[in-house]
Amino acid sequence: MATSESTNIKKIQVRRFKPDENPTSNYLTEERGLWAWMTTVDHKKIGWMYLGSIAIFFAVGGILALLLRTELLTPAQTFFTADAYNQLFTLHGAIMVFFFLVPSVPAALGNFILPLQLGCKDVAFPRVNLLSFYIYVVGALFTLFAIFTGGVDTGWTFYTPYSSSAAGGNVMAMTFGVFILGFSSILTGLNFIVTIHRMRAPGLTWNKLPLFLWALYATSIIQILATPVLAITLLLLTMERLLSIGIFDPALGGDPVLYQHFFWFYSHPAVYIMIVPGFGIISEIISTFSRKHIFGYWAIALSSLAIAFIGFLVWGHHMFVAGQSSLANLVFSFLTFLVGIPTGIKIFNWIATMYKGSIDLKTPMLYVMVFLFLFTIGGFTGIMLGALAVDIHLHDTYYVVAHFHYVMVGGMVMAFLGGLHYWWPKMTGKMYNEMWGRISCAIVFIGFNLTFLPQFVMGSLGMPRRYFNYLEQFQGYHVMSTYGSYILGLGFLMVLIYLTHSIFKGKKAPANPWQSRAMEWQAPSPPPLHNFEHTPVIIHGPYDYHKPMSEFQLGIAGSHNGHGHHEHETETKTVEADK
Amino acid sequence: MSGHHVSSAKFLWGVAIALLFLTYVTVAVTWIHIPEPWNVVVAIAIAVVKSAIVAAFFMHLWWDTKFNLLLLITSIVFFLILIGITLLDTLYRIDPVPSF
Amino acid sequence: MEQPSTLEKKQDHLQHHFVDSDQQFESAKMGMWIFLVTEILFFGGLFAAYIVFRSWYPELFLLASDHLDTFWGAVNTVVLISSSLTVAMAIRSAQLNQQKGIIINLAITIALAFVFMVIKYFEYTEKFAVGIFPGGYYTYEGIAHDQANIFFSIYYMMTGLHGIHVVVGIGLMVWLLLRARKGHFSSEYYTPVEITGLYWHLVDIIWIFLFPLLYLID
Ligand code: HEM
Ligand SMILES: [Cu+2]
Repeated sequence: MATSESTNIKKIQVRRFKPDENPTSNYLTEERGLWAWMTTVDHKKIGWMYLGSIAIFFAVGGILALLLRTELLTPAQTFFTADAYNQLFTLHGAIMVFFFLVPSVPAALGNFILPLQLGCKDVAFPRVNLLSFYIYVVGALFTLFAIFTGGVDTGWTFYTPYSSSAAGGNVMAMTFGVFILGFSSILTGLNFIVTIHRMRAPGLTWNKLPLFLWALYATSIIQILATPVLAITLLLLTMERLLSIGIFDPALGGDPVLYQHFFWFYSHPAVYIMIVPGFGIISEIISTFSRKHIFGYWAIALSSLAIAFIGFLVWGHHMFVAGQSSLANLVFSFLTFLVGIPTGIKIFNWIATMYKGSIDLKTPMLYVMVFLFLFTIGGFTGIMLGALAVDIHLHDTYYVVAHFHYVMVGGMVMAFLGGLHYWWPKMTGKMYNEMWGRISCAIVFIGFNLTFLPQFVMGSLGMPRRYFNYLEQFQGYHVMSTYGSYILGLGFLMVLIYLTHSIFKGKKAPANPWQSRAMEWQAPSPPPLHNFEHTPVIIHGPYDYHKPMSEFQLGIAGSHNGHGHHEHETETKTVEADK
Repeated sequence: MSGHHVSSAKFLWGVAIALLFLTYVTVAVTWIHIPEPWNVVVAIAIAVVKSAIVAAFFMHLWWDTKFNLLLLITSIVFFLILIGITLLDTLYRIDPVPSF
Repeated sequence: MEQPSTLEKKQDHLQHHFVDSDQQFESAKMGMWIFLVTEILFFGGLFAAYIVFRSWYPELFLLASDHLDTFWGAVNTVVLISSSLTVAMAIRSAQLNQQKGIIINLAITIALAFVFMVIKYFEYTEKFAVGIFPGGYYTYEGIAHDQANIFFSIYYMMTGLHGIHVVVGIGLMVWLLLRARKGHFSSEYYTPVEITGLYWHLVDIIWIFLFPLLYLID
């Protein structure tokens, strides 16, 4: 740990701590009441508050999506005017990206799980953690304010010069909301990096770090490097509207393409903020439910970092037809192909992990299967879009819409749901209904494909995105897509219902229902206020299924600050732990 | 607590004087009118040296864990990526100046 | 660590989830460094805009920069560098348990920061007086270039954001000063002084770049 030791190996006396199966007090029974929740600095409760918030935003964004799809049932106007339609898709996109996907895994699940996996009591800066939640709330309030004072119809990308001069509504409130939101994201990333560096339990070396944490680490790096650029971009955009500073507005001598550079310098890496934590979840689940050591630990860990890095070099593939120089087009197209490499490495390693494992298709693992299938399609179509000539045909068509829904919903939302089911017993202390879990997963899978597969087809036939009317020849695809979206919606609704039901009526969850070797499962379900009553000591990696469970339950009894260095008398074992 | 570096007052003053001297230099070179691109290069070079001095000695990076230095370097590298690749576009447009 | 009494005193500031003061100190410092990374990229966006426009309109930057007063820019550079020195001295005082030294050095730093802002205020009002406003409100006719407003937009954005950082810095220093007067800091615990110092030095570094890039174009 943080103590300075001359050698790398340190001998500590440990004994076994079996997780308490029937904890009388846990983080949910302590510090109760609304005020205690709102002022809590406990990472688990903050995780819950995020989870609640993103669930609300997911519901709002989802309802908006269903409205959009319903409008598209007929080629002519069905319910909404063109203006209303523009506002709907803008809000849908902005809410889903900024208010749901970006915070979904890191801030909600990550907050809960990260300290548990590290074997520490909390993140490094608990108060900053709470602050980041409230910043998120303030950002959300600004967005609500924007909606009720005219709405926004620029698309979630806020492209200039439309956003800076022509667009009506309240663009400023919206961009300011997203600006504020960025700080929440930054603070979460900052907190996680420091926590992972400084708060690891004794023995938890980098080569034993769970892959979920490697993924969160890579994500946090993107968050701190990319988000500030979004912040300054949106600030400049706000200033453009407020003072006409003329940096992006061509009418004043500025350059709208520069806006796109700045925006995508954030937003392409941001798609990896959205997906990389999902990769982490997949690694955890796939190893647990294959009962097998993860294949290619370092390949998976480092490919997360590689993705984080390469993700910064490819933003211009969103601008192939925006008027950037041919040289830039060429370079960006080439670099875009590189992203496929680390992503492919991950997929292969996951498949190899399952090979000859004893696979148990419980709900989380089912979601992993869905993920592997859908994300691979999303990734491949991304590579196709990255091909310069192909993209000139496909840019701004439904093909792009299908691509990013396959990665963001087919990839990330599936990973999120997988993670949610996986950790649900830990978070709530209750089991959900396994049968309903599987049925819903199947419905989601069918609904999703019915919604988005037709979009690839109509996109390649030339159906442009962001149109509320269309040529009659596309109606068949649109109708299919709309009915698919209803099925998808039903699937999500069922998840919400049986998960909520399980909180009140579910069976009590054991401490380690999946027999996982990872650290978080060695705490009781739900964990006590300070996660562990002892200081965990780690001697094996989290995927060492060939080692007996007892060797994953070692620790030293707590002292003054929980992680005391003094030896306990009832030790049963001496281990050598790298510091 | 161990390992916290304490700089002597003399040393800190020395650092400040070096910085002030470099400030003088950076102003002084504008008097001799170095030709284009080189005037920019010199100005930036001096600013980089000054910043490096501040970071190393006032911000204790010299004695600090290497990771904090790595953070600083990372931020600079990513800034260079931002501007470097953007310039690949803005410098090589057919019509480099939007003529509105 | 030997005498139990000092051990007790040491634990005052230690938050429950840290093992020891060192871990807490190093965590806070790393956290601040990460924050500085975000600051660098935040300003980085502006610097990028600056570079792009300068590469497009080199003559504009030459012309417009003449209208910034190199003398006051240089004075402000000296002021900020001096304040960096005093912050560093404040940290040194804390490390050496010199309570008075902390207070005096912080007070001088705050004073210097004020001087910086006052000079900036005069520079701004002088510009406003001739119609050099940001963006669309720009009315000055003394610069023979169509995009003169853009140079000053960039100037105002950069120096404005930097100024806001100085003001935030002043706020932090005042807070430190109040705590220092209550004797909160010692060689065992001076984390807030240290990390505020880091922030302040970064504000200084940004100015070190702004000065030649805006004032010293010849
Ligand atoms: C193998 C990896 C990927 C590649 C090569 C890739 C490539 C591309 C390309 C070239 C475009 C631009 C298409 C156009 O506008 O004409 C695009 C759009 C998009 N991609 Fe990907 N992508 C990949 C993975 C992802 C992931 C993982 C996500 C999100 C989790 C994502 C989200 C998006 C979004 C949101 C857009 C549309 C943005 C907009 O215009 O509104 N992509 N992708
Ligand atoms: Cu992209």
